Amino acid sequence: MTNHWIDIKNADVIMIIGSNAAENHPASFRWILKAMQERDAKLIVVDPRFTRSASMASLYAPLRPGTDLAFLGGIINYALGKNLIQKDYVTEYTNASYLVNPAFTFNDGLFSGYEPGKRSYGDRKTWTYQMDTKNIPKRDKTLKDPRCVYQLMKKHYSRYTPEMVERVTGCPKETFLKVAETFTSTHKPNRVATIMYAMGITQHTVGTQNVRALAILQLLMGNMGVAGGGINALRGESNVQGSTDHALLFHILPGYLPAPDVKAHPTLEAYNNSAPKTEDPMSINWWSHRSKYTVSLLKAWYGDAATKENNFCYDWLPKKSKGVPFIVLFEDMLKGVMKGAFFMGTNPIVGGPNANRNALAMEKLDWLVAADIWETDSSIFWKRPGANPAAIKTEVFLLPAASSVEKEGSVSNSGRWAQWRYKAVDPPGPEKTRGKSDLDILDLIFRELRELYKKEGGKFPDPILKANWNYIPEGEHEASPHLVAKEVNGYTWPDKKQVKNFVDLKDDGSTACGNWLYSGSYPGKNMMARRGTSDASNKIGMYPEWSWCWPLNRRIIYNRAAVNRKGEPWDSSRWVVKWTGSKWKGDVIDGGPTAGPEAKNPFIMNNEGVGRLFAPGKILTDGPLTEHYEPMESPVANLFNSQKVNPASMIIDEVRGQFGNAGQYPYIATSYRVVEHWQAGAMTRNLPWLNELVPDMFCEISPTLAAAKGIKNGDRVAIYNARGTIKAYALVTERVQPLVVNGRPMEMIGMIWHFGPGCAATGDACNQLTPSIGDANTMIPEFKAFLADIRKEA
Amino acid sequence: MSGKAFLVDTTKCSGCRACQVSCKQWNNLPAEKTTFFAGPEYTNPAELSAITFNHVKFFPIDRSHPGKPLWTIMHKKCYHCEDANCIKVCPQEAISKVEGWTVIDQSKCIGCGACVNECVYKVPHVLDETMPKYGAEGSIQKDKSYKCHACMQNKRDVPLCAQHCPTGALTYGDRTALVKRARARLKEIAAEYPRASIYGLEQYGGLRVITVLKDSPEKYGLPLNPEPIDMHKAEAIRNTYHLISLFSFGLPSLKRVAYRISRSMVG
Repeated sequence: MTNHWIDIKNADVIMIIGSNAAENHPASFRWILKAMQERDAKLIVVDPRFTRSASMASLYAPLRPGTDLAFLGGIINYALGKNLIQKDYVTEYTNASYLVNPAFTFNDGLFSGYEPGKRSYGDRKTWTYQMDTKNIPKRDKTLKDPRCVYQLMKKHYSRYTPEMVERVTGCPKETFLKVAETFTSTHKPNRVATIMYAMGITQHTVGTQNVRALAILQLLMGNMGVAGGGINALRGESNVQGSTDHALLFHILPGYLPAPDVKAHPTLEAYNNSAPKTEDPMSINWWSHRSKYTVSLLKAWYGDAATKENNFCYDWLPKKSKGVPFIVLFEDMLKGVMKGAFFMGTNPIVGGPNANRNALAMEKLDWLVAADIWETDSSIFWKRPGANPAAIKTEVFLLPAASSVEKEGSVSNSGRWAQWRYKAVDPPGPEKTRGKSDLDILDLIFRELRELYKKEGGKFPDPILKANWNYIPEGEHEASPHLVAKEVNGYTWPDKKQVKNFVDLKDDGSTACGNWLYSGSYPGKNMMARRGTSDASNKIGMYPEWSWCWPLNRRIIYNRAAVNRKGEPWDSSRWVVKWTGSKWKGDVIDGGPTAGPEAKNPFIMNNEGVGRLFAPGKILTDGPLTEHYEPMESPVANLFNSQKVNPASMIIDEVRGQFGNAGQYPYIATSYRVVEHWQAGAMTRNLPWLNELVPDMFCEISPTLAAAKGIKNGDRVAIYNARGTIKAYALVTERVQPLVVNGRPMEMIGMIWHFGPGCAATGDACNQLTPSIGDANTMIPEFKAFLADIRKEA
Repeated sequence: MSGKAFLVDTTKCSGCRACQVSCKQWNNLPAEKTTFFAGPEYTNPAELSAITFNHVKFFPIDRSHPGKPLWTIMHKKCYHCEDANCIKVCPQEAISKVEGWTVIDQSKCIGCGACVNECVYKVPHVLDETMPKYGAEGSIQKDKSYKCHACMQNKRDVPLCAQHCPTGALTYGDRTALVKRARARLKEIAAEYPRASIYGLEQYGGLRVITVLKDSPEKYGLPLNPEPIDMHKAEAIRNTYHLISLFSFGLPSLKRVAYRISRSMVG
């Protein structure tokens, strides 16, 4: 979230799209309802189904799964066509006025530079700005130049008419227009909309562009950086934010430093040189500090071994030769590339796409370690229905893990608050065999590994033998999360004095820091453990003394955009920051406290310093503007252009034959969660009280589809496609309705994905049906739109 | 009517069922072994029971509602009538008011089912032993009547159901203040829900669970003017029971027989 949970109460319009917050983030509704009750805020819910969130909405709009870009493109067009944008904000704080390379084109769904054979846009050299002699992008602040971003957008989005929105998405034109009107009412400086989104936006072949469309809308409305605004990713687990911040994903190191690449970054110098640059004196370009964070990270990991002479052991850092997202990881596993795997808090044969294939991949492993609080579906993959245990050689170890209340540490919520938690009880059972915290498990494994390297040597022992790994306090025998947190905060080297925050970090080896973004969380005192309940001077519910929030305890990021060039808040009734002429008041100001509003641009993480309506250069793989493409499996042709699926999405040859068409599998299928179960279910399907509420795998279908297939509420049905067949109960409900797409009614099968073959409550996994294809940028799988057929079971 | 009460605001309920689960947790109640969904939409189990004191019912969506489709999700528990039928009919005087709340003393209860029969809201239940259930073994005894006791038997400042409600749909506080809040809420939602209503102000001398509804009470099976109990009959049954139960040697099973005979004698 650019903002945070409590801040939702400051909104005038709340748009929930690609999220079912009432079910997956129930506490958010405390703040949504407060806004609705106290500010007469309007809640818009856009969802293929009438969900529990929709039941609370002022305005509900249905749409066909996988057509968010058509819907959002329609709102962008509505705003641009009717001039419902916050003009001053857009001109000053976005790249609307920037002139684009004359060679940049867009034609029938393809941007310039496409290489069809590679399904790639290659070096994207035309997706650039026109530069002046000082190497600063040229601008036309009147927004009249036909090559300025604003004019290009007007033309690009003019195709997204309300009629086209209806034909493609199935959302009736009148409903769409009501949404567009309500949302764009926030282009006025004294009105603000927030957008809450989750996996319904991201889990598509166009997932990144979906998020881009939301960002474009919020920039046009002037809703970034302000109270009650922002684009707010609702994280699906209590600490997804924290694990992302700390580099859970394949493409990053801690603090969103890019993962070094074998070819592009052979040396530390090459890596540091790849940091974003600017000649624009208005741009703060915070990433220009990147080398300090990288060197401090290397110092934290390799300690005394990391010296200036050896480039701080940059050579020891693993480099990627290709991106290895989930789908590729499991394809590699299936090819036998890896010998073993660790599953910690993950359950891929329930949670991963194309789950039957994942299970086959796991059979190729020599060993598998699963650490969880209970036996998971994946840890017993070898005895799943249909498997022959005798033929599976994989040796499986199940490590008992401590639950969330049985360990200490920090959890970062969606609003970027790192909150310290204490251990309430010991894990059950005798001390020797009882569950251990993840930290303890990893520490024991690392130290054992180091002993083995010491004793037996190895191909490349130094990074292990010389790692700076000392997390057990003197006189104790368990790793301490406080020592980890202190390292994450950073300290001076070699005297280990905690740094105040990342401004103190250096690239000469005199500081070590595990994650620059969290620098300031433990400068001496554990800031994450704070529980102060006073609000800040702006009284907008920031509660800056409660826990700690990255970066630098800044509660609303991009908050320089909350004021005009004079430093006056766009809306004084809910101001975030203001400039007194010499200093800033309110929230911790973005980009340093001394620069005034006239001196610097607000979007400090972009090298232009402004918000990107047009994403230039190599930022995205699939286009600097958004464009609608159909999901990989879709029942209709793309009405916007002759490309079917996102032309830059990677298609893996091995699974090409598994994609189906509407002739074979006529119904749109989608997957989601319910409030009663948690993710892949390994934690909740063992709990009687939750199983009482939702005991079985079920799907939701409309009464019309049910009638056509002779299915009654509560019947057992089979749902199938080329990847698998699953059984489920059918919930026949008026909440699911066929949508009229291009004149033809389209039916949908909605499925929960919580169930699997293990645990107390068992059921088939929806993900046996989901495809192995992902977003062009992130490779997040397309869980939300695919094809299937359904039949009644005898 | 003073004292505490609950306010159920169905316009704020997102159907997360934290109330239903929290109640089971605090009172250590077993789970019913359900299959699919026992009631409309996600409703599970079908109704309140001897092991389910809080229940959330999902009504079918009403697409004919003016303005927007209407999907009501309603929290239900014992309404704690001021003038409670169950108290009047209990032959054992096992049910009484504790700080305004209607509470069953299971040590006195013989499981005769009088309270079950006379509650128009179908709240109290004697454990049905054939009901498949699991977890929390032994916490509920057979031949005893159970229902919500507003955490009077297992005391806490705010009942856990209300404390855990994430949206503010279920709140706990002084009844007078909650009634005021309900009336103000009705005005706030009038445009969005033109047929909205408040339930529980008058019924049975006033209920301690006030419900703000998106439509009229009848739509949700809540009688506007519930029939008062026939006191003459109730007294006659009780008098007969007192006489016959002298021969029950204090055995609950015989007492239950005595109650059944008394009931059939009075007709």
